[in-house]
Amino acid sequence: MSTAKTPPVIVLSQLYKRFGLGDAEHCAIDGIDLTIKKGEFIAIMGPSGCGKTTLLNILGLLDSDIEGSYELNGVPVATMSRRRQARIRSKQIGFVFQSFNLVSRLTVIENVALPLTYKGLRKVQRLERASDMLKTFHLNEREYYYPHQLSGGQTQRVAIARALVNEPSIILADEPTGNLDSRASHIIMEELSDLHKRGNTIIMVTHNPRLTTYASRVITMIDGTIESDTQKKRRTKKAARKRPLSGKKKLSKKATT
Amino acid sequence: MRILFWSHIQNARDSLRSNRGRSTLTMLGITIGVASVTAILALSGGASQIVSNQVDSLGGNIAVVRPGTQPSSNIDRLTQLQSPQQFASSTLTTNDLDSIERIEGVEGVAPLSLLSGAVSGDTTAPAGTTIVATTATLEQVNQLSIQEGQFLEPRITLPAAVIGAQLSIDIFGTEQSIGKTIQLRGEAFTVIGILKRANMPINYNGVDFDRSVIISREDSELIASSAPQIQQINIRSTSVETLAGVIVEINKALLRNHLGEADFVVLSGEEIAQPTSELFAVIAGVTAAIAAISLLVGGIGVMNIMLVNVAERTREIGIRKAVGASNGDIVWQFLIESLALSIGGGVAGYALGYGAAFGLSFLLPFEPLFSLEIAAFAIALSIVVGVIFGLYPAYRAARKDPISALRQYD
Repeated sequence: MSTAKTPPVIVLSQLYKRFGLGDAEHCAIDGIDLTIKKGEFIAIMGPSGCGKTTLLNILGLLDSDIEGSYELNGVPVATMSRRRQARIRSKQIGFVFQSFNLVSRLTVIENVALPLTYKGLRKVQRLERASDMLKTFHLNEREYYYPHQLSGGQTQRVAIARALVNEPSIILADEPTGNLDSRASHIIMEELSDLHKRGNTIIMVTHNPRLTTYASRVITMIDGTIESDTQKKRRTKKAARKRPLSGKKKLSKKATT
Repeated sequence: MRILFWSHIQNARDSLRSNRGRSTLTMLGITIGVASVTAILALSGGASQIVSNQVDSLGGNIAVVRPGTQPSSNIDRLTQLQSPQQFASSTLTTNDLDSIERIEGVEGVAPLSLLSGAVSGDTTAPAGTTIVATTATLEQVNQLSIQEGQFLEPRITLPAAVIGAQLSIDIFGTEQSIGKTIQLRGEAFTVIGILKRANMPINYNGVDFDRSVIISREDSELIASSAPQIQQINIRSTSVETLAGVIVEINKALLRNHLGEADFVVLSGEEIAQPTSELFAVIAGVTAAIAAISLLVGGIGVMNIMLVNVAERTREIGIRKAVGASNGDIVWQFLIESLALSIGGGVAGYALGYGAAFGLSFLLPFEPLFSLEIAAFAIALSIVVGVIFGLYPAYRAARKDPISALRQYD
C-alpha cells in the first residue's frame, strides 16, 4: 500500500483518558496505540460509549487533558501551548459534526467563512473563498439562507464546506451521516471519499457498518480499546487477515443489497 | 490581528443588532451614568470658569491686595473661604493706598470698602444690596462701563452715588433714575450714573455691581463714623509685563508700612480666582463621584447582559473554538461586544449630559463648559466601565470547554 511509505500524521502511544474521580473513575480511552498515515480514510466503529467521540476530540485537539503521548506531525501535543493548538485547529484540522453545529444566527456563507476569520483573512477574501467552496458543493444558490432554512443533507454539506474552507490536511468527522436519510448519507459519503481521493486524511466515527465500504481502514473500538484494526491485522497476522476482510466483504454485500 | 479586530467589531454589531431591545436597555444604564457625570462636570467647569474668565478679560495686568494671610493648605483655603465683607477689621490702610500709588508701573489703584446698611429709593432695596466706598479710579481699574450719566469724580462735592442697573429697577422701577435721590442709612445721595448691566454676580470683588451702590470714600464718612475699612485694593499695572515687578514692589512697600508683618496678600491672575475655582472643583468632584454610582449600576447591567450573551452562545463558542479560535480570540470577541455597549452608551450619555447641562443653564447664571477634557473623560469612563464589567464574562466565555459547549443544544 502506498500509505506505508508516507510519514505518519498521527502517532498515539499508550493513550489514556479518564473521567471522574475515585470510585466513579472511568477510562473512556484505555490504552490506545495508533499510527495514522497521511492520506488514509479511517472509519472508527464501535458501540455507543466505547470512546470513539472522545478519541476524535483528542485527535482534534479539543481535549488536551490526556495521559500518554500524542504526536501530531511529529510534535508532541503536550508541549504545545493552547494558542498553538488553536492555530493547528485553524490550519490543519477540519471538523464535521453529527449535529452539523452551524452558528444559527449567521448565514450559510458566513458560517463557511467563519474558520477563515481566525486565519486572519479580510472579509471580502473570506466571502470569496467561502463562495467558491460552496460552489463545489452545489450550494451557491443557498449562500444567504440561514441554516434552519436548509434540509439536513444541505446543512451537512455546508458543514463539510466549512471544514474544508481552510484546506486542512486532516478531516475529523463525527457521525457525519447520523442525522441524515440514506440518500443524503450517500451524497455526503461520496463527497468525503472524493476528498480522500484528493489526498486528505479523513478520520470518521460512525456506527453505520455500511459506511465502512468507503474507508481504506476500519478500526473497531470497544470499552476504550481497539478491538480490531484492518491494517494491523493485515500487516502483522497474514493468516488472520481473512476474518476482518471477509467481515468487510459481508458488510459491503449487505450494503449493496 | 488587525483584521480579527475588525471582524470582532462586525460581529459585535451583528450580535447587538439581533438583540436590539436588550442592547438599548443595557446601554441606557451607561447613558444615564455618563450623562450625569458629564452634566455635573460641564456645569461646575462653567461655574469655576466665570471668575477666571473675568480675570482674563481684564487683560492680565490686574493684581489685588487683600488683608490677612492666605491659608497655606488647600483644605484651609476651602473651609476658610470668606467674602471680603466678612473681614471686619482690615489691616489695609489709606497709607498703604498712597504707597502703592507711588510705585512705578502702577496705572491705577482702587480701594474697595464694603458697607452694609439700608438702601432705599421709591421703595426699599432688597436685602444684600451692598454699598461700595471707593475712588474714581475704580471705573478705570475694573473697567466698569456706564450706561447713563457718569462715574464718581473728585470734583463732585454733593453726596453722589452710582448705582447698578438692576438696583435702579428694584428701587425706582426704571433704569432711568439719574438725578433721583436715594437714601443710604437715612442720608440722601443723588444718583449721577447708572452702570451697564454686567451680569456677573460671582466675581473676584465679591460684589455684584448690578445690585450695588458706589459712593466715594469721602461721602462714606457721612454714613459711617470713621473712614471705612479697606477690604481689597485693586491695582492695574501699565502693562502685563510690568505686573510682576509691580507686585514685588507692592509687597516691599506694604511690608514696610506694616512693620514687617505679612498680614496681607498680593494676588494676581489665576490666584485671584483660585479659592472660588477650587471650591467649585471640590463640590463637582463629590457630586460627580455620587453620579458615578449610577454608572456602576449601568456597568453591572452590562456585565449581566454579557453573561446572558455568553450563556446563550455557549454552542457558538464551542464551534468557534473547534474551527480555530484561541482563548484570546474569544476574550476579545466578548470584550469588544461589551465595549461596544459601553462606548455606545457613553457617547449617547455625553450628548444627553450636555443637553441636560444646557437645559439647566437657563436657570443658572453661567453656561456649561465645553472642553476636550470632559469629552475624553466621558469616553474614557465608558471604556473603563466596558473593560471592567466585560472582562469577567469574556473570561468565562473563553474558559468554556469546547466539547461540553458543543454538546449544548440551542
